[in-house]
Amino acid sequence: MTSLVLTVRETLRYRGAIGQWSWVLHRLTGVGVVLFLALHVIDTSWAVFYPGLYVKAIAAYQSPIFTIGEFGLVFAVVYHAFNGIRIVIFDYKPELWRHQAQAAVAVLVLTLLVLAPVFLGMASHVIDFYVTEQAIAGSKIMDVVVFSIIEQLPFIAGFVGVLAAAIVLAAAFSLVRGGATERSRYPQASPVERFWWAFMRLSGILILPLVFGHLALMHVVQGVFDITAAQEVAGTLATNGTIGAVPSAVEFVFHRWSYAAGGVFVWRVYDLFLLVLVTLHGFNGLRYVLTDYTSFNDFARRTSVALCTVIAAVLLAVGAAALFVPLEKDIISEAMAATAEIYELRGEEVPAELEAFLSEHR
Amino acid sequence: MDVTFKIRRQNPDLPGKEKPYWQEFVLGDVEPTDRVLEMLHRIKWEQDGSLSLRRSCAHGICGSDAMRINGVNRLACKILVRDVGERIQIEPILGLPVIKDLIVDMEPFFDHYRQVMPFFVNDDPLPADGRERLQTQADRELFDDTTKCILCACCTTSCPSFWANGHYVGPAAIVQAHRFIFDTRDQAGKERLDILSEPNGVWRCRTIFNCTPACPREIEVTKAIGEVKLAIRKGKTIGIIQPDVSH
Repeated sequence: MTSLVLTVRETLRYRGAIGQWSWVLHRLTGVGVVLFLALHVIDTSWAVFYPGLYVKAIAAYQSPIFTIGEFGLVFAVVYHAFNGIRIVIFDYKPELWRHQAQAAVAVLVLTLLVLAPVFLGMASHVIDFYVTEQAIAGSKIMDVVVFSIIEQLPFIAGFVGVLAAAIVLAAAFSLVRGGATERSRYPQASPVERFWWAFMRLSGILILPLVFGHLALMHVVQGVFDITAAQEVAGTLATNGTIGAVPSAVEFVFHRWSYAAGGVFVWRVYDLFLLVLVTLHGFNGLRYVLTDYTSFNDFARRTSVALCTVIAAVLLAVGAAALFVPLEKDIISEAMAATAEIYELRGEEVPAELEAFLSEHR
Repeated sequence: MDVTFKIRRQNPDLPGKEKPYWQEFVLGDVEPTDRVLEMLHRIKWEQDGSLSLRRSCAHGICGSDAMRINGVNRLACKILVRDVGERIQIEPILGLPVIKDLIVDMEPFFDHYRQVMPFFVNDDPLPADGRERLQTQADRELFDDTTKCILCACCTTSCPSFWANGHYVGPAAIVQAHRFIFDTRDQAGKERLDILSEPNGVWRCRTIFNCTPACPREIEVTKAIGEVKLAIRKGKTIGIIQPDVSH
C-alpha cells in the first residue's frame, strides 16, 4: 500500500505536464471499465443460466445510481480508447514525441466532441424512462435495487472465492519458486512481457470498432431502459420473430443471440470476439496497474498476477459458456416470473398480459 | 528583492528531526539572475550551517545537485531565481532514500546504471593503424543525444513508475544503454536489449513524459526509451531511429 499511497500523493504534488494527467486518467478509466466488465460478463451470462437473476440485475441497472454509472462508463471507454490511440502512435513513432502534449489535448477535445451527442442520446432514454414510469416512487426503486443486490450475494461470494484462489495460487507458486526479490546482476530477457506489450497495442486497436459498435447499439440506440420494453431487437431482422406481448430483458437477449444471418449467429460471434479481446486486454492492463504497486513484495506481486489470471479465466469460461449454450424457450417463462416479482416489489399491479402468460405457462 | 525558501529537511541522527519537516528561510538582497544553488549556499553560510546538500562543479556538468524545485526536478546550479519566482520550494528528489536534508542515497540509482553494461564492448582487433575505430557521421548522429547524460537522476526520480517500484530500471539507465545499443561499433547490443526486456526493464515505462522536460541536458528521454522498446520488439537496432525532422 505504501507504494500506491506514495505514488498517488507525489503524483498530485509533482508538477508534471499533461502527459502525467493523461496517464492518471488512462489508469482510472481502465480500472473502472475492467471492474464493470467483470460485473457485466457475469450478469449477462445469467440471462442464459439464471434468467430470474438477470431480470432483477437489469432492474437494478435501471436505478439512478447505475444510470450515473453508465454515463461514467461511456466516458471512461471513449477516453481510454482515444488516449490508447495516442499511446500507440508515440510507441511506434517515438520521433513524433514533441507533439504528445498537443495529442493529449486533442484526445480530450475529441472525447468531449464524441460524448456530446452520445450523452444526449442516452439522456433521452433516461428521460423517457422516468416520464413514462412515473408511477414508481423513489423509495420503491431503492427497494428493487437493494433486493436485487441481496439476491446477487452469490456473485460477491464468488468474488471472495476467486480472491482466495488467487492467494492460494500465489502462495503455492512462492513455495515452489521461493522468493526472488533480489534482481540478478544481469536479468533475464522476458519474451512474455514483450508479447504482452505488443498484444495490448494490437488488441486495443482491434477492439475499437467492436467496442464502439457495442456502445452505440446497447447504450445509445437501445439502452438498458429499452431492453425491458423493446418489441424488436436492433441489429436483427424482424423476420426472426418479434418479442412477445410482455417484453423482458431475457427475451431481448434470446432474440439477439438467436439471430442468424446466412447460418451465422452474428451477435454470438461478435460478442465472443469482444469477450476474448476485452477480457485479455482489460485484465492484462489490471495486472500492469497492480504489479506497479506490489513489486516491492514477491507475495503481493504474485497474488496480483494470480488474481488477474483467475478472474480473466473465470470470465472467459462463463462468458463463452453463455455464448455457446443452446438457448431454451423456458428461460423466458422464468424471466416472466421474475418480472412479476418486481412488479410486486414496486407495489404495482401485475399487468393482465403478464398474468395471462404466467397462468398459461405454469 | 527578498526571496522566501521553503526547504524539506530531515536529519536521521538528530532526535526530533528524524522525520521530514519544512523550514522557511528569507533571503534579502537577491538578484533575479542569482542561481538557486548560490542562494542555498547563502542559507548554509549565513543562516543555518546544518543545511546539507550535494554539489560539486556547480556548472551543470557533474550532475550532483538534482533536487525538486517548485515541484519539478531541476539542477539547482542551472536554475535562476527569476525562473522560479520569489517563493521557492525545495525538496530532495523522490524515490531514493534520503540521507540528510537534500542529499539522497544514489546507490540504487547507480545499481540500475551498472546493470545495463554502460561501457563500450568490442573484442575485434584494433584497426591496422592502431588508432580509433572509425564511424560515419550519420552513425554517430544516431546516439548523439544520449551521450549527453550526466547521471543526475532528474529523469528517473520524476517517473511515477519508479516512485511506485524501485526495481524499475528507470529512464537514466535506459538512456545510458541507448548510447551503446545504437553505437554501430559496439558488440553487446543484444545483451543490453535482453537485460532491458525483463519485466522491470523498459516495459514499466508508461510514456508519462515526466522525464523528458525534467532533463537538464534536454535529452529526448522518452523518445530514447521508445526506440529501445522498438529495438527489443523488432529484434534489431538498424532502422529503428528515424531522423528528427525538427532538427
